Amino acid sequence: MTNLNREIVAENLVKRYGDFTAVDNVSFKVSDGEIYGFLGPNGAGKSTVVTMLTTLGLPTSGHATVGGHDIVLEASQVRRIAGVALQDIGLDPIMKSMELLTIQAQLFGMSKRDSIARAKELLDIVQLSEFTDRRVGKYSGGMRRRLDLAMALVHRPEILFLDEPTTGLDPASRRDIWAEVRRLNREYNMTIFLTTQYLEEADELADRIAIMNKGKIAVEGQPAALKAAMGRESVNITLRDNEAAEKAATLLGEMFDKVQIDRRTVRLYRQNAAQVVPAVVNRLTESGIETVSLTLTQPTLDDVFLQVTGQSIDEVQAPADKTAVPA
Amino acid sequence: MASLVQTANLKAAISQPQRSMSFVAQTAMLAKRTLITNFRDPAAIIPPLLISVFFLLVNSSTLSGAASFFLPGQSYLGFIVPLTIISSSLSGASIAGQSIVRDIERGYFDKLMLTPVSRAAIVLGPMIAGALLLTVQTALILGLALLMGLQPNTGIIGLASTLIFATFIGVSFAGFTVGMALFTGSAAATGGASFIFFPLTFLTATYVPFSLLTGWIKTAAEYNPITYPLEAMRALLNTGWDTDLMLKGLSSCLLMGGVLFTFAIFGLRTRSKRR
Repeated sequence: MTNLNREIVAENLVKRYGDFTAVDNVSFKVSDGEIYGFLGPNGAGKSTVVTMLTTLGLPTSGHATVGGHDIVLEASQVRRIAGVALQDIGLDPIMKSMELLTIQAQLFGMSKRDSIARAKELLDIVQLSEFTDRRVGKYSGGMRRRLDLAMALVHRPEILFLDEPTTGLDPASRRDIWAEVRRLNREYNMTIFLTTQYLEEADELADRIAIMNKGKIAVEGQPAALKAAMGRESVNITLRDNEAAEKAATLLGEMFDKVQIDRRTVRLYRQNAAQVVPAVVNRLTESGIETVSLTLTQPTLDDVFLQVTGQSIDEVQAPADKTAVPA
Repeated sequence: MASLVQTANLKAAISQPQRSMSFVAQTAMLAKRTLITNFRDPAAIIPPLLISVFFLLVNSSTLSGAASFFLPGQSYLGFIVPLTIISSSLSGASIAGQSIVRDIERGYFDKLMLTPVSRAAIVLGPMIAGALLLTVQTALILGLALLMGLQPNTGIIGLASTLIFATFIGVSFAGFTVGMALFTGSAAATGGASFIFFPLTFLTATYVPFSLLTGWIKTAAEYNPITYPLEAMRALLNTGWDTDLMLKGLSSCLLMGGVLFTFAIFGLRTRSKRR
């Protein structure tokens, strides 16, 4: 049996647009059969990395291989083994789903007969078999996203790039996609490179994650290890307004290792934070600062994200995305 | 949702080398797809056809009376139809560029770029589709001209040769609009680019035979690549077979096609570098 290389290796990848450096000396390695979560705020450079790894764009400098193939010198081989579902769904709305899938399959070298069989198989799986006579432009957002994923899988790729694959999907569809990503990885040992803004998604799926910020990888590791490295519980206090949050932060700062203010929420970090909650409540009461809520949390990926980027994930998600995120 | 990959022998399938579609088949498939999308959205192809018919009717009506002075014994219709074909080819060519712009805007162009298909086929497919649309357009113009009394000197073979010239011109001009589409990704810029060629239809033997041109316009016409296929088509419809004119017309088309296809490929490379 052929030994397949399903690794992704990036070494000092750089992408510049004029004076602006979108990707700044990024290096990482995704192992065979791994699900690698790539996180970061908007504009961090995630999609630019995907654009380069999938051969859609050329790096300014640096080197990367996908499945052992150089992304610049062996771009055609990379395209043969990589399936890609980009953030912006790339479907021609005038065409029908069966047409799009069969064209895509034939462009990957399948015969017409095989491409029709494969298209039927995929349409059945993504539950679009009943809609083959309808132009894709008439599909709902969820249907288009499912068809786009089917397009990425039409040639049975060894490595799958999913760029924010569940953005805009309803909760049920998101769970279906998650289940499928896990299954593709488990049963076929498919290496999956997943960019997402949903920390829950990364926590749920990824074996390892990297968080990008301002074009650089700020932190990389297993989700559990990253959370453990935070080492501190946090007391999160939501107050009536931003001014009250500032006052509370000043008042309580000396009791904690680190204080972060996120609009009218104050996050206070320290070891064994639970033990000081009564003292926190007393101080706030004595000072006449009224609280809306107070919670104690174990470190989460959101904490890791906040520490690395200085922004909460809620802040960086676009309003349109937030409406699609399940509560 | 059931499993997305149910094929039992997937692992075996993965390890099998994938066959490659031939370059010709890739180009034909991409041209076919462009034609399908254009026929399903005919708003893009009907106006150019109507404009061509308008040009033919107006030109033949307004100048046919005066034609006896400079075209003794020849048909003015046979003289003006090639000009109508070339004018039409400008609008026909823009269809190819606009198809690429639509694909870029809709993200489908990226889907094509993610396949191992030849980059040249991605460029050439829409160019050929544009040329085929122009061929159909030309056939309709010739049909109308026949109804109006055109009697081609070289018969049915001459008409077929005229169609072949139209196809070559269409491919050439389409190369330019496809290149502009790839450089700019903008519908407005691509549409506007078609008009760069518009003056070329006047810097030639537009309304009088080449032999009657004098001064700077004659010099301009000599360097204008459109002059030669125009003269070749006029010969086919009006005066008969002229090997020298045919070869010059064909060479000019091939030269324009080669240069503008290279321009389109350069547009694609630039687009990849910019991303």
